[in-house]
Amino acid sequence: MIDDEAVNNAKERLRQEIGDLTAQLNAKKQRLRDLEATTTDVDDDSNAVSPKQNQRALTNDDIARYSRQLILPGFGVAGQLKLKTSSVLIVGAGGLGCPAAQYLAGAGCGHVGLVDYDRVDKSNLHRQTLHTITRIGMDKTESAKIALEELNPHCRISCHTRLLSRFTAMHIIRDYDVVLDCSDNVATRYLLNDACVMLRKPLVSGSALKLDGQLTVYNFGVTGPCYRCIYPVPPPPEAVTNCGDGGVLGAVTGTIGSLQALEAIKIIVGLGDVLAGRLLIFDGSTLQFRNIRIRSKRENCHICSPQPLITELIDYEQFCGMHATDKDNPLQLLEPEQRIDAMDYKALQQQQPAHLLIDVRQPAEFEICQLPSAVNVPLAQILDDSYLKQLGSQLDSKELPIVVLCRRGNDSQIAVQHMRNRFPDHSIRDLEGGLHAWSSQVDPSFPTY
Amino acid sequence: MMSVENSETININVLFFAKSRELAKTSRAVFAVESVVKTGQLLKQLIDRFDLSAISNCIILAHNENYLENLDEEIRLQQGDEIAVIPPISGG
Repeated sequence: MIDDEAVNNAKERLRQEIGDLTAQLNAKKQRLRDLEATTTDVDDDSNAVSPKQNQRALTNDDIARYSRQLILPGFGVAGQLKLKTSSVLIVGAGGLGCPAAQYLAGAGCGHVGLVDYDRVDKSNLHRQTLHTITRIGMDKTESAKIALEELNPHCRISCHTRLLSRFTAMHIIRDYDVVLDCSDNVATRYLLNDACVMLRKPLVSGSALKLDGQLTVYNFGVTGPCYRCIYPVPPPPEAVTNCGDGGVLGAVTGTIGSLQALEAIKIIVGLGDVLAGRLLIFDGSTLQFRNIRIRSKRENCHICSPQPLITELIDYEQFCGMHATDKDNPLQLLEPEQRIDAMDYKALQQQQPAHLLIDVRQPAEFEICQLPSAVNVPLAQILDDSYLKQLGSQLDSKELPIVVLCRRGNDSQIAVQHMRNRFPDHSIRDLEGGLHAWSSQVDPSFPTY
Repeated sequence: MMSVENSETININVLFFAKSRELAKTSRAVFAVESVVKTGQLLKQLIDRFDLSAISNCIILAHNENYLENLDEEIRLQQGDEIAVIPPISGG
């Protein structure tokens, strides 16, 4: 036993030391890269050329590196030089932004800007292909920069480590030729749209959730519509699902993100038919791509018509009624006495083993982890009252306390509200903070997701 | 002539994407509708029949892969035509 404990302590100590050393190493590498960027403009090619000449001709390294795309008809040396002098802004260094940035940097785009306020988390790694286990906790922009510079040191990477807001958007976007919307929330999508209309930048917009993806290019060409032409009104917050709640497959974000890079390259090089005025609908479950011919500019569009109503950026969080992140906000629907915290529920388990514990998560989530004795009744079945049949006589006695739980304590409140309307005299409470609170306050060995 | 056409009921295939698939609880359905119908009426019928009211203000409809632009315009549908219900996705 003592040996086991000693070994475990030693392991933990080593993990911490390795983590600290890795962080130090990354910081030193970052400093070196910054210094290199400011002191040397000369490529690592033997024939030193000035940066300006550099952009008008391909170096031997360029030719070797880009040979497979240089020989493409319609691309050629001219296309490569256009890419070399181009700059692309990628908003969101996540599931869409990582593959998009990878292909753009790989293809020889001269300057890639990355906007993201968030840090790398373990739950990102299945789809955010530039980040690694050793860079968990690092800014996503810096983590992506490390990966991209390893891939192609000739591509200049700028990190904008902040939330894109109406106060920063114009200033950041102005310097770029093409913008990629790889964001994860509605407010940022409207903000980017409006800013790109005002600055006349083509906006390659991608999105993905579960097994679905969408892609189109806004604000391109004379007749190309903007996001507001297609969706003048944002969806109500309760109808919006984020990847954290709905789930998403990495290969789906990877597909859409790669296609965003393709459209950006086509715009820069002037290749093929850009996906403007068309909406690509990707259904990963049947693997079908549909191309819907969408409208041209809306005559009375509030932002892109000749007489726009919106002439400067607005408060997009207010306009959408949602925050400009994909993080959930804790709801506050119930009175304190209608809730039970994790420690009190642990006590209740011991004092009153006879109680009804209802877990309102989706079956797929219930399967991941659950508290013993919990019954799985998904929220939808609470709200359409089919739970009455499922739980039957268990609901008859108002002496049997009922506790409702979910992952983070939002859905459980909605369920309690609904059930209390039917059973006003029952003791129905929700587990405050859900399984996350259970894990942090009572049982650290309980998994979180 | 028009009245004969107006009275005809035909079956179309409705495809649901993203949130609409969740709300309709299916990815496709056969739907009986008048062969000549205003886009706005078709949209309203679909919203009522398939519980889409939560996203009623942000759905676009496509008829055989063509966007239906004007809600006041009459469209002519044929047996087996495809109507796609497309709400925006915002995740990434």
